[in-house]
Amino acid sequence: MATTVDLVPRTVYRTSLLNRELVLWRADDGFVNVWENRCLHRGVRLSIGSNDGAELICRYHGWRYSNRSGGCTYVPAHPADSPARTIQNTTYPAVEHLGLIWTTGNPIDEMPPFAVPELEAMAGEILGLRNLPVAAPWQVVIAALAEHRFCPPGALDVDPAEAEMSANTDGLAVTLTSSVGDHRSSAVFVVQPLEPGRSVVRPVLGERPPDPIGVLRHHATALARFAKATEAREWATPTEQPVALENPVVLPSTSTATRRSALTEVTVAAKRLVANHIIALELSPVDGVALPTWQPGDHLDLHLPNGLIRQYSITNRPGWSDRYRIGVKREAASRGGSAFLHDSIAVGDVLTVSEPRSGFPLRRNVPQTLFIAGGIGITPLLSMAHALSSMRLAFTFHYFTADPADIAFVDDLDYFGDVVKQHLGLSPHETVAALREVLDRPEAGGQIYACGPPPMLDAIRSIAADAGWPDDAVRFEYFENTTQIDASSSFTVELARSATTLTVSAGQTILQVLREHDIPIVSSCEQGACGTCVATVIDGEPHHQDVYLSAEERAAGKLILTCVSRTLADRLVLDL
Amino acid sequence: MITLYDFVLSANCYKVRLFCGLLDVDYETVAIDFHPGREHKGEAFRTINPLGHIPVLDDDGYLIRDAHAILIYLAVAYDPQRTWYPMNDAKRLGQVAQWMAFADGTANTASAARLHVNLGYDFDVGKVRAGAHELFAVLDEHLWFRERDDGAGGWLAEGDSPTIADVALFPDVALAEEGGVSLLDYPAVVRWADRVRQIPGFVVMPGVFHFGRS
Repeated sequence: MATTVDLVPRTVYRTSLLNRELVLWRADDGFVNVWENRCLHRGVRLSIGSNDGAELICRYHGWRYSNRSGGCTYVPAHPADSPARTIQNTTYPAVEHLGLIWTTGNPIDEMPPFAVPELEAMAGEILGLRNLPVAAPWQVVIAALAEHRFCPPGALDVDPAEAEMSANTDGLAVTLTSSVGDHRSSAVFVVQPLEPGRSVVRPVLGERPPDPIGVLRHHATALARFAKATEAREWATPTEQPVALENPVVLPSTSTATRRSALTEVTVAAKRLVANHIIALELSPVDGVALPTWQPGDHLDLHLPNGLIRQYSITNRPGWSDRYRIGVKREAASRGGSAFLHDSIAVGDVLTVSEPRSGFPLRRNVPQTLFIAGGIGITPLLSMAHALSSMRLAFTFHYFTADPADIAFVDDLDYFGDVVKQHLGLSPHETVAALREVLDRPEAGGQIYACGPPPMLDAIRSIAADAGWPDDAVRFEYFENTTQIDASSSFTVELARSATTLTVSAGQTILQVLREHDIPIVSSCEQGACGTCVATVIDGEPHHQDVYLSAEERAAGKLILTCVSRTLADRLVLDL
Repeated sequence: MITLYDFVLSANCYKVRLFCGLLDVDYETVAIDFHPGREHKGEAFRTINPLGHIPVLDDDGYLIRDAHAILIYLAVAYDPQRTWYPMNDAKRLGQVAQWMAFADGTANTASAARLHVNLGYDFDVGKVRAGAHELFAVLDEHLWFRERDDGAGGWLAEGDSPTIADVALFPDVALAEEGGVSLLDYPAVVRWADRVRQIPGFVVMPGVFHFGRS
């Protein structure tokens, strides 16, 4: 589809293959993305967009698509929302080999093993020659190439008509050998079928002459002559399919290179200690190149071999679609989750994870963001700060830890630079004083994202309110809900859409009763912290016992977390 | 003060605006209603340019017309380092003139196709597009070899810095696809255009985008 030099860092390349227009771009991690050249939004060519090294950004309305997965990560018109995971471009596999970029032409997971024997034989010393488009069908070009003539590097001044040529055609590649006296030289001419009646010849010379410019000019001139002559020929329109697609892998049109199932198997690719009692785990797909698209602030359910399910925030940087990085703190009172990951999980182990879940979406159109992390609460804020950093939106990152040894993800903090403000070893009283200082002056249009121990978040909530921050500008993620849940009430729940009325007895949760009656609802933490099981209240007064909803949302009474909250009246009507 | 008689969609006027941006030279514009008003062909404008063409530049009363002439004037007047117009290097200066003449060719082909598509000008669009492709094929080969010239920046003329030839040619290339002249076959031309977009001071016009900025 291209030569490796066509894919300049931070640029976008366009080509066609078998009448399908493709966009190619190399991410900063070296990965070559090959996608359909069309924004899923309005169909504009993505090749006029920009490559920021991790994401391709559509020129028209700024939709961002991630490296590797092709998943949409941001829609500027909806700055506070996470795009649906189904918004994912069609991706094609690619390999770089012998100075060229190759694909199968089918959207499948991985490139099948392939070889161009004539080129493999040359692998030691090769020289990429100038490529040339030819306005002729690939079959005509292949046939004509058998009669193409050039001279070996040692005999460039000889008339090519005098060279002794031999040709060997294999699929879409023609190997030509030219001999003049003692001089001999071979080159493979690979043909890319662009569109009906249009092809590109991509020649590779099987040696590396000391003064390549003269050889490159010789071949460029010879190939230009070849193109003119071939275009002038008369041909019947061929109907035969390219040899490379004799047995195409045909997938349903909705399929893409990444999985969409709810659970994904991942391998532990790296495990390292990033602070006292905190490990970072990198989870890579068991097969394929990309994982389901994640958004800043998302978390995963980790299904552990011991049967436990635990939630961990994704701490990725933009463009990391080949792995999820999570941070795990060993909890002193671990019930078998964090201790298991610390002690029993090793590199190479296979785990099952959910698709990334959102409970803490990042608003990405705000000029100034304040992050406040306490201890392991840094994890969801890391991916958020990286997202803002790549969009060049300003932020300050306050990080409260008890001890220097507790400071985790130092590389990321160094990357953010002097916007990181460390607060070390403060007592609860000093922490409150420091938070007062940080939150002292609400910035017009500013926003706060905070995650940490519940007492700290409670303090932030009240200090921010006192300082005059608008309620909707302050967003929290509680890792746990330490509220004492009162489950003593009993009441009926009317499900308006399902036309069903259910009874919730004392000791049961709404969520449990919904599950028992096969009413589909997703949940995650089931302790009123993550917000996954939220439902809309049509009538009735909720008794909130979660730590997820904001004060305004609680007061409005239009939302309820079905895992912990209930009603003190005898009836609730939900939009389920 | 510099005043430019300007039409925002004109590739030729954009050459001047682009170069003023690259030189960091301030200027004012007088908008000429090129389309649909044809103000440049009117009696009033003929007193400024009897040929009835834009752009025209007025630098404190010094009137100069023709985009390429204006580029030469600005380079000599406002670039004391002489990097944009290498007056002391005969070979490079010759190359600059050569590629500016080449840009006259793209104006008559690629740019004409764009005028036909966008503003309904009566050109044989098949012919001008074919002419543009002939020129772009030559340009692509030239730039492909320029990229392989050690120590050079891959500009039209030799040497490691761009010249007014790059400025003169860029607009017709960047706007070619508006006229239905696809750059699909000219990857070296596209890479060169991406290099021009990265020169400090680069400015855009409708249909021409910044490099790496959304």
